[in-house]
Amino acid sequence: MGSTDTMTYAATLDHVTKRFGDHTAVDDLSLRIPQGSIYGFIGPNGAGKTTTIRMLMSIFYPDSGSIRVLGNDSPEAIKDRLGYLPEEKGLYKSMRVQEIVAYFGKLKGMTSRDANQRAHDLLVRYGLGDWLQVKCQALSKGMGQKVQLLGTIIHSPELVILDEPFSGLDPVNMELMRSTILDMKREGRTVIFSTHVMKQAEEICDYVFMIHRSKKVFDGPIHQIKQSAGGGIHLAYDGDAAAVFAELTREGLASRINDAGKEAEIHPADGIDPQAILARLVGRVTVRSFDLREISLHEIFVRKVRELSGEVLEETPR
Amino acid sequence: MSKTLIVAQREFVENLRTKTFWIGILSLPLILAASIAIGRFLEKSKDVRTYAVVDLSDNGWLSRAIETRAAQTDLGSMLRGSEQEGGDSPDVQAWLQNLPEDHPIRDLIDRIKEAAPDFDPAALGGGEDRPRLPPAVQGTVLRWALEVQRDPARAKVLQNLASSIALARYRRVELDALDLTLDQPVEELRAALNRAIADEELFAYFILPNDPLTDGAGQYVSNNLTDGDLRSWFERHATSVVRARRIEGMPGVTQEDADLLLASFPFREQRVSSSGETETVDTKEKAAGFAPVAFVYLLWIAVFTAAQMLLTNTVEEKSNRLIEVLLSSVSPLQLMAGKVLGIAATGLTIVGSWVGTALIGAQLVPETGKLGQLDLAAIIGDPVYLTSFVGYFLAGYLLYAAILVALGSVCNSLKEAQNLMQPVFILLMVPLFAMLFVVQDPNGTVARILTYVPLYTPFLMMNRAGGPPPAWEYFASSALILVSLVIAFWAAAKVFRVGILMTGKPPKIREILRWIRAPVSSGAAADPVQTAD
Repeated sequence: MGSTDTMTYAATLDHVTKRFGDHTAVDDLSLRIPQGSIYGFIGPNGAGKTTTIRMLMSIFYPDSGSIRVLGNDSPEAIKDRLGYLPEEKGLYKSMRVQEIVAYFGKLKGMTSRDANQRAHDLLVRYGLGDWLQVKCQALSKGMGQKVQLLGTIIHSPELVILDEPFSGLDPVNMELMRSTILDMKREGRTVIFSTHVMKQAEEICDYVFMIHRSKKVFDGPIHQIKQSAGGGIHLAYDGDAAAVFAELTREGLASRINDAGKEAEIHPADGIDPQAILARLVGRVTVRSFDLREISLHEIFVRKVRELSGEVLEETPR
Repeated sequence: MSKTLIVAQREFVENLRTKTFWIGILSLPLILAASIAIGRFLEKSKDVRTYAVVDLSDNGWLSRAIETRAAQTDLGSMLRGSEQEGGDSPDVQAWLQNLPEDHPIRDLIDRIKEAAPDFDPAALGGGEDRPRLPPAVQGTVLRWALEVQRDPARAKVLQNLASSIALARYRRVELDALDLTLDQPVEELRAALNRAIADEELFAYFILPNDPLTDGAGQYVSNNLTDGDLRSWFERHATSVVRARRIEGMPGVTQEDADLLLASFPFREQRVSSSGETETVDTKEKAAGFAPVAFVYLLWIAVFTAAQMLLTNTVEEKSNRLIEVLLSSVSPLQLMAGKVLGIAATGLTIVGSWVGTALIGAQLVPETGKLGQLDLAAIIGDPVYLTSFVGYFLAGYLLYAAILVALGSVCNSLKEAQNLMQPVFILLMVPLFAMLFVVQDPNGTVARILTYVPLYTPFLMMNRAGGPPPAWEYFASSALILVSLVIAFWAAAKVFRVGILMTGKPPKIREILRWIRAPVSSGAAADPVQTAD
């Protein structure tokens, strides 16, 4: 992170620790979240992502360490410049759609008039123009999710924090969420989101931070992390590959193979030419594609955790 | 606008859309209208009791004397009832002179003046001890009373004049009208009258003995012995007539002696006024002494409704997962304050609408303002009651609001909340049970002790308003309320900021107490344990 010194940060955490009773939810965490970036918090469920986010939102306060958000130590002062979509979210059932979006805007310091106007514009733009005066209890789940997202961004926040924004979304809304996040980056806003699905983070994040069992595993620009982790081979095949994979590992050609049955991720050992691996495969299985790729975040995560603890992790969904 | 006010505004607007709010607004007018309507219906449906009299005394003197006496009593009631309607002035004379031409009692007064020019009807007006009516007046009143009795329209009008006019309620059916005469044997009459009762033509009949002065009992026959009003009314007048006759029949006893012997010995009620002098208390004022009961009851309903709203809304936000979104924009304290204020505004709107409807109602329909002898309009309009009511509503609401908002913050569902509510509800019942004792003895020991239990202070002070309590008690209780409010909200804020983010089982009381004791800065002790990533 050579250029970090000249960067401005949307948020910084320094040696932050948070305990609930005997349980340490976040342990000595330091993070720098560059302004204008899309920053992914990844890690399995229960790792400490939400606690970190709640501390950024000053819903919780750390037991030790310090947090600065938007250059400010006093969280109350900058609440209006933040947008937050918690994982558990809901709407007032008896409020009307435009009204509730505007209400979230007013709570962020918008005037009643601006909030109403902007709620109207956003809802129309996101295809809810016919639903402005409908009570929230009549909305489908997907529409409710849209309304919640609009309530989060109505006040054009400088920093948007989304906790598990993709979970439970239908494919249409998932795409909408993706494009909204990318739009916000284009507008110069900082977006932090958490997910336990690493692939999502891989697709849109500039930076990631990975947490496991309350401890930081790694953080930094995603391309840098991948570069330093080296590449991998993506193999699509037909046939029984168990025997040849075992050989590759045993003979030291591959350091690790993630076999999914018809596809596999093969990580060549240091100094091994991928072509050598290809040569061994041909004839044993039908190779449909053989593709030299960057290593997946999932793989990096698995390796790092292994390095840290030497223990076998339960697999997380990829 | 501050965030607290934005939250408050939303709560208020949201509550305007709930059924609870409109039920609250409409309940009092509806209850008032219903009770008046039901009262009138009952009054109407209470049939005029018809009765027959088999009077075996000489020429039927006894029944005539009884009716004369009853008519005289009624006349007195009417005059006194009219006097109240005419205003507070005890000056019957003036009232009589200003009596409108079409007043139902006018024609009686005219007829009395015609029959006995020297008699002054004003003498009938005041007090319990009315002079015996001269025979000419007696006859006129009796004839007039019989006419009124037979004319339901006029009987009704008279009934509105004074609350109890026996003539309007009991009607004697002459034996002629039943095709019977006194010449028939008693057994035959009995059989015929029994049939009339069975056929519901008659409510009851009396048999007066041949020699009532020595034969000390009459007979009363009816199918309905639970409603003894007719019997006791008739018996009361019969007793006084027979007593008078017995005394007059003694050798050397004059009518004056008889009057003197029969005269009752009443006590006039007085009380010590604020300036230390004695003053007379009329029945109206005595009834007004009970007025605080109505206010306490309304206060209780208002406080409970509003506090309940607060609990429901808090739990709704929690169970709908809205809390985190809200807390990203406002602090827990702002949220709590906003909710409490918003619902206070809702409650005040309801309470204000009650006061308004009652005032307007009493203005529009003067009659509805009168429940029996109680002048509602005057009581509602009493600024002391009004300001106490609004003030104690706010105090009571805020106190219970602090408890319920804290309680709501630790619950995840309404069901949980209701379970936790039960002890609070039982506490809240006490002022209702104590209400009647306290109003009878507003400055007694029970009232004083309960006043200084902060949860009951607003109700008790309202309850004692008729007393009224000495000024120092007003100061002491107000100070107590303020101190309690500060403590309650200080504790509620601490519970709220922890409870509101909590999921899982509601905490034990012991745990809640720990949160209250923990200093705000150390969030650790107070943060929800169940919250995982």
